[in-house]
Amino acid sequence: MAFTSFRFIVFLVLAAAAYFLTPKRCRWVTLFVANYVFYFISGGKIFIYLLATTITTYLATVKIGDMAAKNKIAFNEAKANLDKEGKKAWKAAFAKKKRRILIPTLLFNFGILAVLKYSGFVTSNLNALFAKIGIGAELPVFKFLLPLGISFYTFQSMGYLIDVYREKQEPEKNFFKLALFISFFPQIVQGPISRFGTLAEQLFRANEFSYTRVKYGVQLMLWGAFKKMVIADRAAVLVDNAFGFPETFGGTYVAVAALVYAIQIYGDFSGGIDIATGAAQIFGVTLDKNFERPYLATSIPDYWRRWHMTLGAWFRDYVFYPLSLSKFFMKLGKKCRNILGNYIGKLIPVLIPQFIIFFLIGIWHGAEWKYIAFGCYNGTLIVLGILFEQPLQKLAKKLGIRMNCLSWRIFQVLRTLVLVAIGKIITRAPGVSAAVYMIRSMVENWDMDVLTNGGLLTMGLDGKDLWVLFLSCLVLLGVSLMQESGIKIRETLAKQNLYFRWVIYLGAVFSLILFGVYGLNYNAADFIYRGF
Amino acid sequence: MEALLKILAELRPDVDFEGNQELVDSGELDSFDIVSLVGELCDEYDIEIGADDIVPENFNSVEAIWALVQKLQED
Repeated sequence: MAFTSFRFIVFLVLAAAAYFLTPKRCRWVTLFVANYVFYFISGGKIFIYLLATTITTYLATVKIGDMAAKNKIAFNEAKANLDKEGKKAWKAAFAKKKRRILIPTLLFNFGILAVLKYSGFVTSNLNALFAKIGIGAELPVFKFLLPLGISFYTFQSMGYLIDVYREKQEPEKNFFKLALFISFFPQIVQGPISRFGTLAEQLFRANEFSYTRVKYGVQLMLWGAFKKMVIADRAAVLVDNAFGFPETFGGTYVAVAALVYAIQIYGDFSGGIDIATGAAQIFGVTLDKNFERPYLATSIPDYWRRWHMTLGAWFRDYVFYPLSLSKFFMKLGKKCRNILGNYIGKLIPVLIPQFIIFFLIGIWHGAEWKYIAFGCYNGTLIVLGILFEQPLQKLAKKLGIRMNCLSWRIFQVLRTLVLVAIGKIITRAPGVSAAVYMIRSMVENWDMDVLTNGGLLTMGLDGKDLWVLFLSCLVLLGVSLMQESGIKIRETLAKQNLYFRWVIYLGAVFSLILFGVYGLNYNAADFIYRGF
Repeated sequence: MEALLKILAELRPDVDFEGNQELVDSGELDSFDIVSLVGELCDEYDIEIGADDIVPENFNSVEAIWALVQKLQED
């Protein structure tokens, strides 16, 4: 059930009505039932996997919570007789005990994800390798149907498990409440990936109906639908054409396609997140922010702080810190300081884990070599950025370049956009070699005439659609610039007089009806990140 | 405390640490700074800071960082 479908609107209205008509004490139960109904009718008929993740997370967290409570009592009784080393040993022994629960649960849940998502890729590549080196064996290549939202709910529940293991989070003792947290319908399909500490309480309490909140929620959903249906789905026509026929659309066409794809994927993903956030807001739930105008970023690290923020934060807290602060990397950093000097040595515990994170983010997107290449591309840019940050700043100072002015900011934004667009070519091209071919063609066959001689009209969109796309992007840019300068659009709109507000609302609705791109049965195309 | 201020000033000379209560929340200290800072603190104060200790509340101000160092020294 796509967020932009008529079925979703009907479901949302019914679920919200049921929620607010339920007695306050049981509202969370209604939400829980709505989640599973949504999951079932959205194609999640194989919800055995969702149940398996919920059950194992529940059992593991409750067990760790019990162990922690007992350990606290025992430690308080014993600590008077323990010296500093004794306390350290006690804590280490207890952490080891907890890990006996944590690690199998992590392996089980990420194992499901790995088998369903990556086993086909691994076995087909092994078969190709066997054939190349003359081994006759052939492994069976399985293609599994991916359960709806598996990447998102697995990351969300495993984040909660690690928080309980770290004793930052009390375990939820009510199984159905935990199931509600893992399956909240607006976010299970494509995120954002929430933390128990910020989301759970909002789901469990009985939220009151609020006209203002519902109004803001619907406005945000309309804005999301505009980004998805007017911008992303229109851009998709051009993008599909250009990336489908790389031999036909070389040179400058590649640059146009990359830019339009960057717009498409932003409209698609952030539009979906806006709809999810708006839908959650109707129920009185505020989801974590997932985007902060990523194409206004001034550097690649800044871009990744603004794009899919909850995934980045997940990898930072649960992979990057544990890796870079591990004894291994701390020791390695010290050794490297002696060999490579203080500057590089200090950076080693940051650089290697950072590269690993981007490699993982790459494969998170899918089981294909192009996603691995995408991860390595970003990891390399980040590493080079960190390594050359200081030398480049010194050079700019020497050359007398002013860096606190608008022109420099614009330069930084455009430079970042070019690097990001190259990354987008890697993920959208049919494969790594096609991506390399397209990037080479863009550099070697650059021809600005394409932009003025009608060449753009050969890419799949006619003049009218190109204008709609262009003007819609201007609206998106205008809104982004306003938000970047701190203007709160919905609050500002609420202060305007009634007639003006309704002109805007009706304009938004009619632009969706008139300019939205519809597929079969008047449903918009599927969201891209739903597939991740 | 003086040594801590010196470490912070060397790490990020462009940041005004005194009185700042939102070093992490405002984005002035990012994850790279935190990892570098943790390395320095472990060396200087002979403590072990794990990933469990990396929460914004422990790094949002000089006082919070100092409180973390003292807590880990006592443990």
